[in-house]
Amino acid sequence: MSVDNQGLLAQLIRELVRLPGIGQKTAQRLAFHLLKTERDEALRLAEAIRAVKEGLVFCRRCRNIAEGELCEFCRDPKRDHTKILVVEEPSTLYAIERTGGFRGLYHVLLGSLSPLDGIGPSDIRAQELVDRLKDGGVQEVILATNPTIEGEATAIYLTKLIKPFGARVSRIAYGIPVGMDIEYADEVTLIKSIEGRRDL
Amino acid sequence: MSLLKTPAITLRSRRWGEADRIVTFYTLRFGKLRGVARGARRLKSRFGSALEPFVHCDLNLFEKANDHLHRVTQADIQESFAGLREDLERMASAARLANLVNAITAEGDQSSRKFETLLAGLRALQAGHDPGLTALLFQVKLLELSGYQPRTDHCVTCGGELHKTGEAKGFRFSPMAGGLVCDSCAWRRPDGGLVLSPGSVAFLQKAGQLTPEALTRLTVAGPMRRELDTTIEAYVTVVAGKRLPPVDFLAAEPREPAYEAKRWP
Repeated sequence: MSVDNQGLLAQLIRELVRLPGIGQKTAQRLAFHLLKTERDEALRLAEAIRAVKEGLVFCRRCRNIAEGELCEFCRDPKRDHTKILVVEEPSTLYAIERTGGFRGLYHVLLGSLSPLDGIGPSDIRAQELVDRLKDGGVQEVILATNPTIEGEATAIYLTKLIKPFGARVSRIAYGIPVGMDIEYADEVTLIKSIEGRRDL
Repeated sequence: MSLLKTPAITLRSRRWGEADRIVTFYTLRFGKLRGVARGARRLKSRFGSALEPFVHCDLNLFEKANDHLHRVTQADIQESFAGLREDLERMASAARLANLVNAITAEGDQSSRKFETLLAGLRALQAGHDPGLTALLFQVKLLELSGYQPRTDHCVTCGGELHKTGEAKGFRFSPMAGGLVCDSCAWRRPDGGLVLSPGSVAFLQKAGQLTPEALTRLTVAGPMRRELDTTIEAYVTVVAGKRLPPVDFLAAEPREPAYEAKRWP
Protein backbone atom coordinates (compact mmCIF):
# COMPACT_ATOMS: atom_id res chain seq x y z
CA MET A 1 0.00 0.00 0.00
CA SER A 2 1.24 3.47 -0.66
CA VAL A 3 -0.04 6.92 0.17
CA ASP A 4 -0.19 9.54 -2.59
CA ASN A 5 2.20 12.51 -2.47
CA GLN A 6 -0.43 15.06 -1.51
CA GLY A 7 -2.01 15.94 1.79
CA LEU A 8 -1.08 16.14 5.47
CA LEU A 9 -0.43 12.42 5.96
CA ALA A 10 1.97 12.34 2.99
CA GLN A 11 3.79 15.34 4.44
CA LEU A 12 4.24 13.54 7.79
CA ILE A 13 5.55 10.44 6.00
CA ARG A 14 8.03 12.56 4.00
CA GLU A 15 9.38 14.06 7.23
CA LEU A 16 9.65 10.66 8.95
CA VAL A 17 11.53 9.17 6.00
CA ARG A 18 14.26 11.76 6.57
CA LEU A 19 15.10 10.20 9.95
CA PRO A 20 18.07 7.77 10.04
CA GLY A 21 17.13 4.13 9.58
CA ILE A 22 13.54 4.92 8.55
CA GLY A 23 12.41 3.74 5.15
CA GLN A 24 9.14 4.40 3.30
CA LYS A 25 7.27 1.42 4.79
CA THR A 26 8.38 2.14 8.38
CA ALA A 27 7.50 5.81 7.92
CA GLN A 28 3.99 4.84 6.79
CA ARG A 29 3.61 2.50 9.77
CA LEU A 30 4.71 5.25 12.19
CA ALA A 31 2.45 7.82 10.52
CA PHE A 32 -0.62 5.56 10.81
CA HIS A 33 0.33 4.75 14.40
CA LEU A 34 0.44 8.47 15.22
CA LEU A 35 -2.90 8.89 13.47
CA LYS A 36 -4.46 6.27 15.71
CA THR A 37 -2.77 7.55 18.88
CA GLU A 38 -4.57 9.79 21.38
CA ARG A 39 -4.26 13.47 20.44
CA ASP A 40 -2.45 14.38 23.71
CA GLU A 41 0.12 11.62 23.29
CA ALA A 42 0.93 12.64 19.71
CA LEU A 43 1.21 16.30 20.67
CA ARG A 44 3.54 15.40 23.56
CA LEU A 45 5.93 13.94 20.99
CA ALA A 46 5.69 17.09 18.86
CA GLU A 47 6.24 19.25 21.94
CA ALA A 48 9.28 17.17 23.03
CA ILE A 49 10.88 17.65 19.59
CA ARG A 50 10.18 21.39 19.69
CA ALA A 51 11.56 21.68 23.24
CA VAL A 52 14.77 19.85 22.32
CA LYS A 53 15.39 22.05 19.29
CA GLU A 54 14.63 25.29 21.12
CA GLY A 55 15.78 24.52 24.67
CA LEU A 56 19.07 22.65 24.31
CA VAL A 57 22.39 24.45 23.98
CA PHE A 58 26.02 23.46 24.29
CA CYS A 59 27.60 23.69 27.73
CA ARG A 60 29.80 26.78 27.76
CA ARG A 61 32.64 24.85 29.41
CA CYS A 62 32.65 21.29 28.00
CA ARG A 63 30.41 21.57 24.87
CA ASN A 64 28.16 18.77 26.06
CA ILE A 65 24.44 19.18 25.45
CA ALA A 66 22.99 21.33 28.25
CA GLU A 67 19.75 22.99 29.26
CA GLY A 68 21.47 26.04 30.71
CA GLU A 69 24.83 27.74 30.60
CA LEU A 70 26.57 24.70 32.14
CA CYS A 71 25.72 21.00 31.76
CA GLU A 72 24.80 18.77 34.71
CA PHE A 73 28.38 17.45 35.03
CA CYS A 74 30.11 20.83 35.00
CA ARG A 75 27.62 22.12 37.60
CA ASP A 76 28.22 19.20 39.98
CA PRO A 77 30.71 20.26 42.73
CA LYS A 78 31.18 16.62 43.84
CA ARG A 79 32.90 15.63 40.60
CA ASP A 80 36.69 15.51 40.30
CA HIS A 81 37.60 18.77 38.56
CA THR A 82 41.25 17.74 38.08
CA LYS A 83 40.42 15.10 35.42
CA ILE A 84 38.93 15.74 31.99
CA LEU A 85 37.82 12.91 29.73
CA VAL A 86 37.70 13.91 26.06
CA VAL A 87 35.09 12.33 23.75
CA GLU A 88 34.07 12.93 20.13
CA GLU A 89 30.30 13.06 20.59
CA PRO A 90 27.81 13.59 23.44
CA SER A 91 26.48 10.04 22.85
CA THR A 92 29.90 8.63 23.88
CA LEU A 93 29.83 10.75 27.04
CA TYR A 94 26.51 9.20 28.08
CA ALA A 95 27.81 5.69 27.31
CA ILE A 96 30.75 6.29 29.67
CA GLU A 97 28.53 7.93 32.26
CA ARG A 98 26.25 4.87 32.30
CA THR A 99 29.18 2.78 33.57
CA GLY A 100 29.46 4.95 36.70
CA GLY A 101 33.22 4.36 36.60
CA PHE A 102 34.34 7.93 35.93
CA ARG A 103 33.69 10.82 38.30
CA GLY A 104 35.69 13.57 36.58
CA LEU A 105 34.61 16.15 34.02
CA TYR A 106 34.20 15.81 30.26
CA HIS A 107 35.08 17.68 27.11
CA VAL A 108 33.10 17.05 23.92
CA LEU A 109 34.91 17.78 20.64
CA LEU A 110 31.73 17.59 18.50
CA GLY A 111 33.67 15.80 15.78
CA SER A 112 37.06 14.33 14.98
CA LEU A 113 39.94 15.11 12.66
CA SER A 114 39.87 13.26 9.35
CA PRO A 115 42.79 13.20 6.91
CA LEU A 116 40.53 11.36 4.42
CA ASP A 117 37.84 14.03 4.49
CA GLY A 118 40.06 17.04 5.11
CA ILE A 119 38.52 17.82 8.50
CA GLY A 120 41.06 19.88 10.42
CA PRO A 121 41.40 21.28 13.96
CA SER A 122 39.20 24.28 13.24
CA ASP A 123 36.23 21.91 12.80
CA ILE A 124 36.45 20.45 16.32
CA ARG A 125 36.29 22.03 19.77
CA ALA A 126 39.99 21.60 20.52
CA GLN A 127 40.76 25.25 21.26
CA GLU A 128 38.05 25.26 23.95
CA LEU A 129 39.91 22.37 25.63
CA VAL A 130 43.13 24.37 25.56
CA ASP A 131 41.30 27.32 27.12
CA ARG A 132 40.18 25.08 29.98
CA LEU A 133 43.76 23.92 30.54
CA LYS A 134 44.95 27.54 30.59
CA ASP A 135 42.53 28.21 33.46
CA GLY A 136 44.60 25.71 35.49
CA GLY A 137 43.71 22.99 37.99
CA VAL A 138 43.60 20.11 35.48
CA GLN A 139 46.02 17.28 36.31
CA GLU A 140 44.99 14.65 33.78
CA VAL A 141 43.35 14.57 30.36
CA ILE A 142 42.04 11.17 29.26
CA LEU A 143 41.56 10.83 25.51
CA ALA A 144 38.55 8.62 24.75
CA THR A 145 38.26 9.21 21.02
CA ASN A 146 37.22 6.23 18.88
CA PRO A 147 39.90 3.66 17.93
CA THR A 148 39.39 4.55 14.24
CA ILE A 149 41.72 6.42 11.91
CA GLU A 150 39.84 9.66 12.74
CA GLY A 151 39.94 9.01 16.47
CA GLU A 152 43.66 8.21 16.36
CA ALA A 153 44.44 11.35 14.37
CA THR A 154 42.50 13.40 16.90
CA ALA A 155 44.27 11.77 19.86
CA ILE A 156 47.74 12.38 18.36
CA TYR A 157 46.89 16.02 17.61
CA LEU A 158 45.43 16.67 21.08
CA THR A 159 48.43 15.05 22.79
CA LYS A 160 50.75 17.55 21.06
CA LEU A 161 48.41 20.38 22.03
CA ILE A 162 48.03 19.39 25.71
CA LYS A 163 51.56 18.27 26.64
CA PRO A 164 53.00 21.82 26.99
CA PHE A 165 50.51 22.51 29.80
CA GLY A 166 52.13 19.84 31.97
CA ALA A 167 48.97 17.81 32.56
CA ARG A 168 49.20 14.02 32.30
CA VAL A 169 47.77 12.82 28.98
CA SER A 170 46.42 9.27 28.82
CA ARG A 171 44.55 7.25 26.19
CA ILE A 172 41.81 4.74 27.00
CA ALA A 173 43.06 1.16 26.69
CA TYR A 174 42.75 -0.95 23.54
CA GLY A 175 42.13 -4.64 23.81
CA ILE A 176 40.02 -7.75 23.78
CA PRO A 177 36.32 -7.19 24.56
CA VAL A 178 35.13 -8.95 27.73
CA GLY A 179 33.52 -12.31 26.94
CA MET A 180 35.33 -12.77 23.61
CA ASP A 181 37.65 -15.65 22.62
CA ILE A 182 41.18 -14.29 22.07
CA GLU A 183 41.68 -16.48 18.98
CA TYR A 184 39.02 -14.48 17.12
CA ALA A 185 40.61 -11.09 17.80
CA ASP A 186 42.15 -9.33 14.82
CA GLU A 187 45.86 -8.63 14.48
CA VAL A 188 45.76 -4.92 15.40
CA THR A 189 43.59 -5.46 18.48
CA LEU A 190 45.85 -8.30 19.67
CA ILE A 191 49.05 -6.25 19.26
CA LYS A 192 47.48 -3.27 20.99
CA SER A 193 46.23 -5.42 23.87
CA ILE A 194 49.73 -6.89 24.39
CA GLU A 195 51.30 -3.41 24.23
CA GLY A 196 48.75 -2.11 26.73
CA ARG A 197 49.15 -5.02 29.21
CA ARG A 198 49.31 -4.20 32.89
CA ASP A 199 50.91 -5.72 35.99
CA LEU A 200 48.81 -7.85 38.31
CA MET B 1 24.47 -13.97 -6.14
CA SER B 2 28.13 -15.02 -6.33
CA LEU B 3 31.01 -15.06 -3.88
CA LEU B 4 34.01 -12.88 -4.73
CA LYS B 5 37.43 -13.47 -3.13
CA THR B 6 40.25 -11.02 -3.64
CA PRO B 7 43.12 -9.18 -1.95
CA ALA B 8 41.98 -5.61 -1.24
CA ILE B 9 43.05 -2.29 0.22
CA THR B 10 40.48 -0.22 2.11
CA LEU B 11 40.23 3.27 0.61
CA ARG B 12 37.61 4.64 2.95
CA SER B 13 35.05 3.47 5.43
CA ARG B 14 32.02 5.39 6.60
CA ARG B 15 29.34 4.80 9.19
CA TRP B 16 26.03 3.51 7.95
CA GLY B 17 22.81 2.90 9.87
CA GLU B 18 22.87 1.66 13.44
CA ALA B 19 26.13 -0.31 13.47
CA ASP B 20 27.15 -0.91 9.85
CA ARG B 21 29.83 0.47 7.58
CA ILE B 22 29.96 1.16 3.87
CA VAL B 23 33.51 0.46 2.76
CA THR B 24 35.22 1.37 -0.50
CA PHE B 25 37.99 -1.03 -1.54
CA TYR B 26 40.53 -1.13 -4.29
CA THR B 27 40.81 -4.83 -5.05
CA LEU B 28 43.38 -6.78 -7.02
CA ARG B 29 40.90 -8.82 -9.06
CA PHE B 30 37.85 -6.58 -9.46
CA GLY B 31 39.17 -3.01 -9.20
CA LYS B 32 37.29 -0.50 -7.11
CA LEU B 33 34.13 -1.72 -5.41
CA ARG B 34 31.95 -0.84 -2.46
CA GLY B 35 30.46 -3.13 0.13
CA VAL B 36 28.28 -2.95 3.19
CA ALA B 37 29.68 -4.62 6.32
CA ARG B 38 26.79 -5.43 8.62
CA GLY B 39 27.49 -4.94 12.32
CA ALA B 40 31.06 -3.71 11.65
CA ARG B 41 30.86 -1.07 14.38
CA ARG B 42 29.68 -3.45 17.08
CA LEU B 43 32.13 -4.30 19.87
CA LYS B 44 32.34 -7.98 18.99
CA SER B 45 32.23 -7.53 15.22
CA ARG B 46 34.00 -10.30 13.31
CA PHE B 47 35.66 -7.67 11.12
CA GLY B 48 37.65 -6.07 13.96
CA SER B 49 40.00 -3.48 12.47
CA ALA B 50 40.17 -5.21 9.06
CA LEU B 51 37.96 -2.57 7.42
CA GLU B 52 39.88 0.47 8.64
CA PRO B 53 41.39 2.70 5.93
CA PHE B 54 44.73 1.57 4.39
CA VAL B 55 44.42 -2.04 5.67
CA HIS B 56 45.52 -4.68 3.13
CA CYS B 57 43.28 -7.71 3.57
CA ASP B 58 41.92 -10.84 1.94
CA LEU B 59 38.33 -9.99 1.25
CA ASN B 60 35.23 -12.13 0.74
CA LEU B 61 32.09 -10.50 -0.64
CA PHE B 62 28.74 -11.51 -2.00
CA GLU B 63 27.88 -9.83 -5.25
CA LYS B 64 24.23 -8.98 -5.56
CA ALA B 65 22.59 -8.83 -8.99
CA ASN B 66 21.84 -5.27 -10.20
CA ASP B 67 23.40 -3.77 -7.09
CA HIS B 68 26.72 -1.94 -6.93
CA LEU B 69 26.82 -2.40 -3.17
CA HIS B 70 28.23 -5.83 -2.28
CA ARG B 71 27.88 -7.57 1.07
CA VAL B 72 31.17 -7.99 2.93
CA THR B 73 31.25 -11.39 4.61
CA GLN B 74 34.86 -11.76 5.73
CA ALA B 75 38.09 -9.75 5.84
CA ASP B 76 41.40 -11.20 7.03
CA ILE B 77 44.23 -8.72 7.60
CA GLN B 78 47.41 -9.23 5.53
CA GLU B 79 49.12 -5.95 6.41
CA SER B 80 47.50 -3.64 8.93
CA PHE B 81 49.82 -0.67 8.32
CA ALA B 82 49.34 0.15 12.00
CA GLY B 83 52.33 2.49 11.87
CA LEU B 84 50.40 4.85 9.59
CA ARG B 85 47.87 5.39 12.37
CA GLU B 86 50.51 6.66 14.78
CA ASP B 87 51.86 9.62 12.82
CA LEU B 88 49.76 12.47 11.42
CA GLU B 89 52.02 13.20 8.44
CA ARG B 90 52.19 9.58 7.31
CA MET B 91 48.45 9.20 7.89
CA ALA B 92 47.72 12.29 5.76
CA SER B 93 49.97 11.10 2.91
CA ALA B 94 48.36 7.65 2.93
CA ALA B 95 44.96 9.38 2.90
CA ARG B 96 46.00 11.37 -0.18
CA LEU B 97 46.96 8.19 -2.07
CA ALA B 98 43.69 6.49 -1.09
CA ASN B 99 41.66 9.58 -2.00
CA LEU B 100 43.41 9.87 -5.37
CA VAL B 101 42.74 6.23 -6.31
CA ASN B 102 39.13 6.63 -5.18
CA ALA B 103 38.64 9.85 -7.16
CA ILE B 104 40.18 8.79 -10.48
CA THR B 105 38.99 5.18 -10.62
CA ALA B 106 35.57 4.05 -11.79
CA GLU B 107 33.90 1.13 -9.99
CA GLY B 108 34.97 -2.18 -11.50
CA ASP B 109 38.00 -0.63 -13.24
CA GLN B 110 40.63 -3.32 -12.59
CA SER B 111 44.40 -2.79 -12.74
CA SER B 112 46.79 -5.05 -10.87
CA ARG B 113 49.62 -2.53 -11.44
CA LYS B 114 47.59 0.21 -9.78
CA PHE B 115 46.86 -2.11 -6.86
CA GLU B 116 50.57 -2.97 -6.49
CA THR B 117 51.52 0.72 -6.73
CA LEU B 118 49.09 1.76 -4.01
CA LEU B 119 50.36 -1.09 -1.84
CA ALA B 120 53.98 -0.09 -2.49
CA GLY B 121 53.12 3.51 -1.55
CA LEU B 122 51.63 2.43 1.78
CA ARG B 123 54.63 0.18 2.42
CA ALA B 124 57.02 3.08 1.71
CA LEU B 125 55.15 5.30 4.16
CA GLN B 126 55.13 2.54 6.77
CA ALA B 127 58.89 2.06 6.25
CA GLY B 128 59.48 5.70 7.21
CA HIS B 129 60.22 7.41 3.88
CA ASP B 130 59.55 11.18 3.73
CA PRO B 131 55.70 11.29 3.80
CA GLY B 132 55.30 14.36 1.57
CA LEU B 133 57.79 13.17 -1.04
CA THR B 134 56.33 9.64 -1.01
CA ALA B 135 52.85 11.07 -1.60
CA LEU B 136 54.19 13.17 -4.50
CA LEU B 137 56.04 10.27 -6.15
CA PHE B 138 53.21 7.78 -5.87
CA GLN B 139 50.63 10.31 -7.04
CA VAL B 140 52.66 10.77 -10.23
CA LYS B 141 52.83 6.98 -10.69
CA LEU B 142 49.14 6.43 -9.97
CA LEU B 143 48.22 9.18 -12.44
CA GLU B 144 50.39 7.51 -15.09
CA LEU B 145 48.77 4.09 -14.47
CA SER B 146 45.31 5.65 -14.73
CA GLY B 147 46.09 7.15 -18.12
CA TYR B 148 46.72 10.68 -16.86
CA GLN B 149 50.50 10.92 -17.16
CA PRO B 150 51.27 14.58 -17.85
CA ARG B 151 52.81 15.01 -21.31
CA THR B 152 56.31 16.45 -21.07
CA ASP B 153 58.02 15.71 -24.43
CA HIS B 154 56.09 18.06 -26.75
CA CYS B 155 53.44 20.76 -26.38
CA VAL B 156 50.31 18.93 -25.23
CA THR B 157 48.09 21.32 -27.21
CA CYS B 158 49.75 21.70 -30.62
CA GLY B 159 52.45 19.00 -30.52
CA GLY B 160 55.15 21.61 -31.22
CA GLU B 161 58.62 22.00 -29.74
CA LEU B 162 58.96 23.18 -26.16
CA HIS B 163 61.16 26.14 -25.23
CA LYS B 164 62.40 27.29 -21.87
CA THR B 165 60.62 30.48 -20.95
CA GLY B 166 61.01 33.56 -18.75
CA GLU B 167 63.68 34.46 -16.21
CA ALA B 168 63.40 31.10 -14.46
CA LYS B 169 64.30 29.35 -17.72
CA GLY B 170 61.54 26.81 -17.13
CA PHE B 171 58.70 25.24 -19.07
CA ARG B 172 55.04 26.16 -18.78
CA PHE B 173 52.65 23.51 -17.41
CA SER B 174 48.92 23.63 -18.07
CA PRO B 175 46.90 21.45 -15.64
CA MET B 176 43.78 21.79 -17.81
CA ALA B 177 45.62 20.65 -20.94
CA GLY B 178 47.46 17.89 -19.04
CA GLY B 179 51.10 18.72 -19.66
CA LEU B 180 53.67 21.20 -20.88
CA VAL B 181 52.62 23.82 -23.40
CA CYS B 182 54.71 25.88 -25.81
CA ASP B 183 54.89 29.68 -25.44
CA SER B 184 52.34 30.45 -28.14
CA CYS B 185 49.80 27.98 -26.70
CA ALA B 186 50.48 29.14 -23.11
CA TRP B 187 49.36 32.67 -24.00
CA ARG B 188 46.02 31.31 -25.21
CA ARG B 189 45.38 29.23 -22.06
CA PRO B 190 44.12 30.87 -18.87
CA ASP B 191 45.87 28.25 -16.67
CA GLY B 192 49.14 27.99 -18.60
CA GLY B 193 51.16 29.88 -16.03
CA LEU B 194 52.74 27.20 -13.85
CA VAL B 195 56.47 27.21 -14.48
CA LEU B 196 58.42 23.95 -14.15
CA SER B 197 62.21 23.91 -14.16
CA PRO B 198 64.01 21.42 -16.47
CA GLY B 199 64.98 19.45 -13.34
CA SER B 200 61.31 19.12 -12.31
CA VAL B 201 60.35 17.97 -15.80
CA ALA B 202 63.10 15.33 -15.68
CA PHE B 203 61.81 14.27 -12.23
CA LEU B 204 58.27 13.79 -13.57
CA GLN B 205 59.56 11.77 -16.53
CA LYS B 206 61.70 9.56 -14.28
CA ALA B 207 58.88 9.02 -11.74
CA GLY B 208 56.64 7.81 -14.56
CA GLN B 209 59.27 5.32 -15.78
CA LEU B 210 60.40 3.72 -12.50
CA THR B 211 58.74 0.67 -10.98
CA PRO B 212 56.77 1.30 -7.74
CA GLU B 213 59.47 -0.47 -5.70
CA ALA B 214 62.23 1.74 -7.13
CA LEU B 215 60.29 5.02 -6.86
CA THR B 216 61.53 5.96 -3.40
CA ARG B 217 65.10 6.19 -4.78
CA LEU B 218 64.11 9.52 -6.37
CA THR B 219 64.54 12.57 -4.19
CA VAL B 220 63.82 16.24 -4.65
CA ALA B 221 64.02 19.18 -2.27
CA GLY B 222 63.93 22.97 -2.02
CA PRO B 223 62.29 25.15 -4.70
CA MET B 224 62.01 22.22 -7.12
CA ARG B 225 60.00 20.24 -4.58
CA ARG B 226 57.71 23.21 -4.00
CA GLU B 227 57.00 23.74 -7.70
CA LEU B 228 56.35 20.01 -8.17
CA ASP B 229 53.97 19.96 -5.17
CA THR B 230 52.07 22.96 -6.56
CA THR B 231 51.93 21.53 -10.09
CA ILE B 232 50.79 18.05 -9.11
CA GLU B 233 48.22 19.49 -6.68
CA ALA B 234 46.75 21.62 -9.49
CA TYR B 235 46.82 18.72 -11.94
CA VAL B 236 45.21 16.27 -9.47
CA THR B 237 42.41 18.81 -8.87
CA VAL B 238 41.72 18.94 -12.62
CA VAL B 239 41.87 15.15 -13.09
CA ALA B 240 39.77 14.38 -10.00
CA GLY B 241 37.28 17.11 -10.90
CA LYS B 242 37.41 18.50 -7.36
CA ARG B 243 39.89 19.61 -4.72
CA LEU B 244 40.95 16.56 -2.75
CA PRO B 245 41.45 17.01 1.02
CA PRO B 246 44.87 18.63 1.44
CA VAL B 247 47.90 16.57 2.44
CA ASP B 248 48.39 19.16 5.17
CA PHE B 249 44.90 18.56 6.57
CA LEU B 250 45.73 20.25 9.87
CA ALA B 251 45.53 23.54 7.97
CA ALA B 252 42.16 22.66 6.39
CA GLU B 253 39.48 25.34 6.18
CA PRO B 254 36.60 25.09 8.70
CA ARG B 255 33.38 23.45 7.55
CA GLU B 256 29.72 23.88 8.48
CA PRO B 257 29.06 22.59 12.03
CA ALA B 258 27.30 19.21 12.21
CA TYR B 259 25.08 20.31 15.09
CA GLU B 260 22.42 22.91 14.85
CA ALA B 261 21.96 23.54 18.58
CA LYS B 262 22.47 27.06 19.86
CA ARG B 263 25.91 28.10 21.04
CA TRP B 264 27.06 30.33 23.81
CA PRO B 265 28.95 33.35 22.53
